[in-house]
Amino acid sequence: MANEQDKKNEDDMPDFSDVQSGASSTAPAAEVYETYVVKPGDSLSKIAKHAYGDANAWKRIFDANTDILKDPNKIFPGQKLKIPQKN
Amino acid sequence: MRRIAATLLPLLLTGSLACKKAEPPPPPPVTVPPTTAPAPVSVSTVTLGSAIGADKKVVAASEAFGVKDTIYASVETAGTGHARLRALWSFVKGEKTAKVDETTVEFDSSGPAANEFHISKPSGWPKGDYKVEVFLGEGGAAAATKAFKVN
Repeated sequence: MANEQDKKNEDDMPDFSDVQSGASSTAPAAEVYETYVVKPGDSLSKIAKHAYGDANAWKRIFDANTDILKDPNKIFPGQKLKIPQKN
Repeated sequence: MRRIAATLLPLLLTGSLACKKAEPPPPPPVTVPPTTAPAPVSVSTVTLGSAIGADKKVVAASEAFGVKDTIYASVETAGTGHARLRALWSFVKGEKTAKVDETTVEFDSSGPAANEFHISKPSGWPKGDYKVEVFLGEGGAAAATKAFKVN
């Protein structure tokens, strides 16, 4: 029976989809985030569901990306969004 | 009379010259020291370990970890200015690499700072070789790379 650790994807490389991560800094007011590249079919609520386990947290992603997003319903494949660290 | 004048005239001239107040020496030129721009942010050190202290620095440096370990990378920076520090963690198998995680810390630095990045995997790390690359700013070559193993 395949071990969780040995679960591999099609490229014969392990699966890292359940990795949890974080960061912090001694610098005041440091911003911590992951960069997510929008794929076809994505929406902010879908991205929030994946990142935070809560689709209603989409506004947090929108607020972190107001420099490139004007309408939360309009995101496009290829856009690089900041996904703020989950507290 | 003329003789007197001829005798006295040089004396009068010398006297006038002697009485003339000596010009004070000109003040030395004011030298303005060249202003040096503050050094931009740079990566000083990267240390790996399985625990960090309150100062964001690794407690005991290590480059080998267990399958259930949380792995920390402590990145010390120096310099001032706006900094975007990105840690890219990868699994390495021969010529291939698989992305494990990528996290960015963005901050305004006014001096030395300690930053930490960490990763954990509830189902356990696959055994093998890994690396973490630390980038400063957008793109370009990594400012530092550290290899480690999971045994």
